[in-house]
Amino acid sequence: MKNIENQLREEAKKLLDDGKVNVIVGYEEGTLPGQTTPCFIESSADADRLVWNPFCSMNLAKYVHDIIHRHRDSQKRAKPEERTKKIVGVVARGCTTRSLILNLQEKQYEREELVIIGVPCTGYVARRKLDRAAGGKEIIGCAVNGDRLTVTTAGGDSDILLKDIISNSCMTCRYNNPIISDIMVGDPAPPMEPGREYDAVTEFENKTEEERWAYFAGEMDKCIRCYACRNACPSCYCKVCFLEQNQPKWIGVGVEETDTQVFQFMRMFHMAGRCVDCGSCVEVCPMGVDLRTFLKKLDKDGFELFEHRAGESLESLPPLSVHSMNDKEEFIYEPE
Amino acid sequence: MADNNKEDQNWEPKIVAFVCNWCTYAGADLAGISRIQYPPNVRLIRLPCSGRVNPFYVVKALQEGADGVLVSGCHPGECHYLTGNLSARRKFSMLKNFLTYVGVEPDRTLFTWVSASEGEKFAHVIKGVTDKVKALGPAKKLVKKFD
Ligand code: SF4
Ligand code: SF4
Ligand code: SF4
Repeated sequence: MKNIENQLREEAKKLLDDGKVNVIVGYEEGTLPGQTTPCFIESSADADRLVWNPFCSMNLAKYVHDIIHRHRDSQKRAKPEERTKKIVGVVARGCTTRSLILNLQEKQYEREELVIIGVPCTGYVARRKLDRAAGGKEIIGCAVNGDRLTVTTAGGDSDILLKDIISNSCMTCRYNNPIISDIMVGDPAPPMEPGREYDAVTEFENKTEEERWAYFAGEMDKCIRCYACRNACPSCYCKVCFLEQNQPKWIGVGVEETDTQVFQFMRMFHMAGRCVDCGSCVEVCPMGVDLRTFLKKLDKDGFELFEHRAGESLESLPPLSVHSMNDKEEFIYEPE
Repeated sequence: MADNNKEDQNWEPKIVAFVCNWCTYAGADLAGISRIQYPPNVRLIRLPCSGRVNPFYVVKALQEGADGVLVSGCHPGECHYLTGNLSARRKFSMLKNFLTYVGVEPDRTLFTWVSASEGEKFAHVIKGVTDKVKALGPAKKLVKKFD
């Protein structure tokens, strides 16, 4: 880890000093133990703030998109001959590169506007699992040593295996190493367990209709509509989100329960063939809503129906962006 | 909604059908001028193409009180815009699976193809859809309770 972190800082310094990027999006220490926060490094003097550790949870592709778009908007006010491009460097593990690929496929920016510093990934610690491991007590220290973690609370130290508290997305991640990169730091990470990727979905599919509905309604009932899940998601980038649209108004803003159900249902459906299962939405949710059980179904269907996994390569377009005469149509109703 | 009470013997399903201008709507027209009888439970909404049907329309219709939703367009290969119905087919195969996954009855949302010459088939489809939705009873899931 330390070795990767040092290499990362060196590469970042070089890129900034050589003027190859204007900014590097990476992770820095957070304000609490066992946390990191996204950071934006613009000068090589700050590159030592970059960290790489099991607490790097957020998918940074979101920030890449936002920086480029904010810059482009600002350029609209500049004279054409004075317009500049902003080159963004980004620290990217597997799922981040998948999101970058998706954004590129959806023509959100050009490949030339990106410098991808690929990092091998062994999964990030899910905050909720960490809190549970600490017995709900306030965590005052977190020290990683190899594949273990020592968590310090007022009640003393506890020693946990990292792999027991990584995010569910990471446990079954298929692409934990970067898919595309300009520079790679560190050696490729060992594979996770993608064989179990759809187990939970299959289990859910086999429940009865009423059980499934009860679970969906129950999870949506927890949602306080803070929209953190949307804001964290690199695939959610519409300038005007359907949630805030009022001509027509799709979703009521009150407490009516189906408004929440419909909001979540539609936000998730927008992820059909586009969710890279980075788990950022789940990680930021303050209410612990289980979004992944549902998102993963779309992923499974995208694969089973259209042999596609979001962001798996630059060539393979999201399934709802393309179509074929030979698509399956068993679902089409034919009257007797 | 008082009329959505299953115990109410007079309950009749409300079905919203999003249909393509070039095929199914013309098919419905043909059924009409040929005086073919079909149940009056369906409200047709004419759109330029089945590809124009936003999955949101289907979900919103359910939320706003439709007991069933039908989407119908031109047969594959016969789209006025060449491939609108093919992209509709992809969208709706995933939408239907997803609705079913969260526990909405599969027979609440139906998708089909009816061409301009299939007045007879149009009447059959409407009859079939109405029967299916009737068998399910009034919609309860995703249905808005108050505004
Ligand atoms: S989902 Fe995969 S690439 Fe993303 S953080 Fe987890 S293990 Fe790493
Ligand atoms: S929906 Fe969640 S898991 Fe999927 S890409 Fe967005 S943030 Fe990541
Ligand atoms: S982050 Fe959680 S609580 Fe907030 S809107 Fe999303 S699901 Fe609801």
